[in-house]
Amino acid sequence: MKNRVVEISSDGAHLSVDRGFLSVAMGRECVGKVAIEDMSALIIRGHGASFSANICARLADVNVPIVICNTNQSPASVIWPVSGHFTQGLTMQAQAVANKPMQKRLWAQLVKSKIENQAEVLRLYNQEFEDIASMAGRVKSGDIDNLEAQAARKYWKRLMGEDFIRSSHQGAINTALNYGYTILRAATARSLLAAGLHPSLSIHHQSKGDALRLADDLMEPYRPWVDDRVKRISEQIEGQEFSLTPQHKAALAAVLTIDMQAAEGASPMQVCMDRMAQSLAQVFLGNRKKLELPAPPIPLTLGQPI
Amino acid sequence: MARQRYTELSGYKFMWVMVLFDLPTATKKERYHYTKFRNFLLDNAFEMAQYSVYVRHTSGKDAVQAIIRKIERAMPPMGKVDILQFTDKQYENIVCFRGNQRRLSLKNPEQFILF
Repeated sequence: MKNRVVEISSDGAHLSVDRGFLSVAMGRECVGKVAIEDMSALIIRGHGASFSANICARLADVNVPIVICNTNQSPASVIWPVSGHFTQGLTMQAQAVANKPMQKRLWAQLVKSKIENQAEVLRLYNQEFEDIASMAGRVKSGDIDNLEAQAARKYWKRLMGEDFIRSSHQGAINTALNYGYTILRAATARSLLAAGLHPSLSIHHQSKGDALRLADDLMEPYRPWVDDRVKRISEQIEGQEFSLTPQHKAALAAVLTIDMQAAEGASPMQVCMDRMAQSLAQVFLGNRKKLELPAPPIPLTLGQPI
Repeated sequence: MARQRYTELSGYKFMWVMVLFDLPTATKKERYHYTKFRNFLLDNAFEMAQYSVYVRHTSGKDAVQAIIRKIERAMPPMGKVDILQFTDKQYENIVCFRGNQRRLSLKNPEQFILF
């Protein structure tokens, strides 16, 4: 299964292992169990939560990262497995010595895909999208013209309104976006680990302290699916005081199950991420040139009521 | 951008597996095998529905076959084990009585679980 996101937001929850299950206790009472084999991420936001060393080890066995968030919903720390894959040594070695031209080519593929997907989201909301769609065709190796930023500037203004500023701090929409991206980041990191890649060795992102830089690179094409969901949440609560409810979070977490158009037909997002990570490992090992990325969203999969 | 045709509706086709067992527990050795088999089910994410009735959901037909092979390897020397499988729709159609009350239908697992 490998697609269930478990989030702990209550202070005082204690997580431990009970046979094949993650067991959540509040005080002395067990409030729930989730099969460890089915999990794709454990996200901990309750600062008073505690967990056993055993659960860390068991989640590591199945390549599930534990993401601990700070107050603005961004990951503050991640616990991930040291060995997750039978060819890991070989793959990581290849990843570590990947040359600049290869990294630049890969980054161009990711940016092109992201811009195409952004254009499709704008098309759905009847905004002007042709200029952004045409940018996708002009992305050069390493995105030296920084089309990613140019597209983003136009995209956010058209999607969320003229005065919207994308940042990691302020406002309800940004909080919702950060939450959705946290889900994407954890899911992408899980796929990378499963493919025997190291999530810290990036092909583009250079933020010094971030442990998941490669996940940040590879989640780029998937962001517009989250943006679409946040847009709909923001339309629902037009003008009200907004705080992220469990329903909103569930809708954002469910982004991992959206069917995407992949080479083998429709596949859920987490499966597409797995294939993308596997294809990246193959690129590093010199067995292929291109990443396997999902095709842009079709209106059917966007804009559905949540 | 050329559009691809969808070849299937969804990537996830839930299948549920239900294991019914009847194992002898008269001798110490038999009890050892019984406990071992029950723990094997729990370790593999089966949940107890009733005494000697355990269920778990899987991602589809292939996963069901893999689990059946696993159970076969873990079989104790004596005893009966029967394995049923059904789709997510059939699972939600299970009628539950608890005492003299009818309980709401069973639900397939949620994608997102918040504690």
